[in-house]
Amino acid sequence: MSTQYGFSFAKDRCVQCYGCEVACKSWRDGEGGVRWRRVSNIWYGRYPQVRSASVSVSCMHCVDPQCAKTCPVKAITKREEDGIVAVDRDKCIGCKTCVKSCPFGAPQFGADGKMQKCDLCLSQTDLSKESPPCAETCPTKALAVSKMDAKEKVSTERDIKRLLAG
Amino acid sequence: MGTCKKEHQWFLDRRTFLKTTGAGVVGVALGSLPFESFTMKEAKAAAAKAGEKAVPTFCAMCGPAANCGVYAFVRDGRFTKVAGMKESPANLGAVCPKGQAAPQWVYSPDRLKYPMRRVGAKGEGRFQQIAWGDAIGLIADTLKKQKEKYGPESLGILSPARRTYSEYLYRFLMSHGSPNYGHSGICAMQMGFTFTYTVGDWPRTVDYGNSDLILVWGKQPIYSGPAQDGVRAYVDAKARGAKLIAIKPSVEPDVGLADEWVPIRPGTDAALALAMLNVVVNENLIDKSFVEQWCYGYDQLKEHVQKYPPSWAEKITGVPADRIAGIARLFATTKRAGIDLGNGVEHVPSSNDAIRAVAILISITGHLDRPGGNVFGAASKMPRLKSVHLRERYTQEWVEKLVYPEFPRAFQPALEGTSSAYYGLFDSVLTGKPYPVRTIIAPGTQALASTRGSKRVMEALKKLDFYVVADVARTADMPYADVVIPLATPYEIDHPFEVRGNWIMARNKVIEPLYSSKSMFEFLCDLGVEMGYGSDFWGGSMKASQNDQLAPLGMTIDELRNHPTGIIYEMLPRKYENYEATFKRKSPRMSGAPFLPQGKVAIYNTSFKEAGYNPLPEWKEPPESITGTPELTKRYPLILSDYHTSNVYTASWQRNVPYLREIHPYPTLHIHPDAAGPRGINSGDWVRVESPHGWMKVKAELYPGIRPDTVMVLHGWWQGCKELGFEDFPLLDGGANVNNMYSVEAAKAFDPVVTAMSSQTLVQVSKA
Repeated sequence: MSTQYGFSFAKDRCVQCYGCEVACKSWRDGEGGVRWRRVSNIWYGRYPQVRSASVSVSCMHCVDPQCAKTCPVKAITKREEDGIVAVDRDKCIGCKTCVKSCPFGAPQFGADGKMQKCDLCLSQTDLSKESPPCAETCPTKALAVSKMDAKEKVSTERDIKRLLAG
Repeated sequence: MGTCKKEHQWFLDRRTFLKTTGAGVVGVALGSLPFESFTMKEAKAAAAKAGEKAVPTFCAMCGPAANCGVYAFVRDGRFTKVAGMKESPANLGAVCPKGQAAPQWVYSPDRLKYPMRRVGAKGEGRFQQIAWGDAIGLIADTLKKQKEKYGPESLGILSPARRTYSEYLYRFLMSHGSPNYGHSGICAMQMGFTFTYTVGDWPRTVDYGNSDLILVWGKQPIYSGPAQDGVRAYVDAKARGAKLIAIKPSVEPDVGLADEWVPIRPGTDAALALAMLNVVVNENLIDKSFVEQWCYGYDQLKEHVQKYPPSWAEKITGVPADRIAGIARLFATTKRAGIDLGNGVEHVPSSNDAIRAVAILISITGHLDRPGGNVFGAASKMPRLKSVHLRERYTQEWVEKLVYPEFPRAFQPALEGTSSAYYGLFDSVLTGKPYPVRTIIAPGTQALASTRGSKRVMEALKKLDFYVVADVARTADMPYADVVIPLATPYEIDHPFEVRGNWIMARNKVIEPLYSSKSMFEFLCDLGVEMGYGSDFWGGSMKASQNDQLAPLGMTIDELRNHPTGIIYEMLPRKYENYEATFKRKSPRMSGAPFLPQGKVAIYNTSFKEAGYNPLPEWKEPPESITGTPELTKRYPLILSDYHTSNVYTASWQRNVPYLREIHPYPTLHIHPDAAGPRGINSGDWVRVESPHGWMKVKAELYPGIRPDTVMVLHGWWQGCKELGFEDFPLLDGGANVNNMYSVEAAKAFDPVVTAMSSQTLVQVSKA
């Protein structure tokens, strides 16, 4: 598909408030210990020239999702219509291969041992008209969901990878 | 290179708060509510679609500047979710994590369910359930007897974080005849007092939208009210290219967004400010015409600051002298520049000095009430509502009766009314001087966790005649209460309306009060009526109270409620340089004299001098510090201070909220790797932190963004979280309560003018 939905993240607007992480949890009745969205702090430099950055990442619904590629039972697919990467939990065998292949820490495991993760609120939200809770709750509009072409999308994935690397 | 990536560590007990989303393909979830930030119309539509109700009301999860507008979702009488209210000018539809987690607080197993009276010994925590009327009767009987025997001043009421009910607490004191509102000596009013007596008002807002340079000094601009305008202003200023310089001991996300970090030793801001004044004065970087026309005492200042060169300040602050000089020059010579001064300067014996020095710095460099600088408040067209305070009843006798003035008697009543220092109420119980307070009411506040000198507070609680705890959930102090009053959360009541800036909205009830709880307002009205003060308490009617206050608006509370998202009043255009009117403003003290006797910025403060205090700001060491008590550094080589606020917790509550506790599950000490390494400490290790006054056990986090000579931890750690299997921590030695670590020695630990309490000490840290 040429256009797909994805997250963009403006690191110069994120204040690390954790609103997005808890909004996701609350609005999707998240299981304790499972983090579909994860906020973290990244350090750079050495005292006294220390800098830091804030990152918020869930699943990037990658243009070329490695999780889908490496899943031994083909439980993970990228939807044609909107580019959302979804997991069929009935097929999932809980082997955690996807954990190793995902650069963003997206795959999560709860009590039932099956993979679960951000699904861009696909069942809840008409993304053509609305945004999911994580983006909507953000006080500074650092996090946004929009339609992107593949090139833009890859760029957002690269930005987050770079941020997470420190 | 030495980069250090923070791993997000995940410490969770196996008995986690479980809620599965059901089997099958992800995408089928409960509720089916779409997005999270709504207008009224969208909220109602979304709610209807999901079989829920959307109630417009206010968030209640932080403070004091709370009151973001939210839609609370209710399904079958149960509060489920929170969405942001787009119509609210406070948050524009955003909600922070605390606001999101509100339902968990409301339904916490820690909720107080019914009124109780103590049956065991103080501290045992044994209670018997009693009826509401009996609880009110018991408190009233005690107060009546004590009023007769000891005088009404024998009642003290502790001040919680500033709430709308703070004014009702005052009203009760006014009706009763006591001046003893126990305000913190830790927060806000230290700045309010000192700024007003230096520049006539409190220019707390920096004109971020027009500023090119902001010194964010001793301030945490994000954590209190993350969804609000201060945060938007900060981020927008950065986007516009303004330079942000963060002056504080450790790096937090706001520092991450800033251009420069100035790592300063905790408690030394006055020294930095005095040295900056030295540079500005000696290099003549002043706004000459402003100083000539609008300042009193510049010549005395010039002479006075000669003893505070940057080289002197370097030894105390740990900030290199040339950096101090550089910042001073940059601030003075940048036309549109301001200083966003925070709570960090309200926790030191040099608090009034630091605040005065900064106020003077802002003034003499020409940044007072100028574009991009520190500006006086902007007004709206909203008529001034009627106050419930009953200030007209203040007399000089009232002021004389204060048991432990938070500010000197010559300056009472203060901005919020007469106030004794919060800690001072407890101190009077122990010393009996000038008299002991006999009853203390603790409304929404936990003295053992929130004020300093926890050991002394506990002694006082054991000795105190009568202690009333009125709160939503069990508190740190509760075992020492004689009567416990169960309060409803603000989500369970339909009063009062709230005003935030130019926005006023009625409060709506989300769910019925749980258990036998009532609101703080109802508690005070019931108690007021029982005491015979019914005529002061609107016969017990909150409706009548609200109508009374709203009269200047020409509407009743029912009429206000017809505007479900409230009313926004037009802002008046901002004018700058309001010197004439501002410098003439009358103070609230009994004499009614202006704040500024000369009608000018009080660089040399004759009011303070007449009252027996230093007319110019000076330097005062914290009780324990590297430069003040070097003899202690062999045994206690590191500085300990604490964070006042957090991104996921408010004050000393909310540790029992699962969504929030999952994020920061443990009390965590930030320690630089260079300090941790030699001590064999790794991230995740439990460590013992010991000061001359006590010790605590907390988890270490190796933190690159902190001074290597300093360690810091968040205050307010005591409560466990039942759902996640976390136990309470001890309140004194061996716990995680940082307020147990500091000195409360009268001569050393308090600011002499504004009673600010020191939150710095020296410690040793070792693996536990």
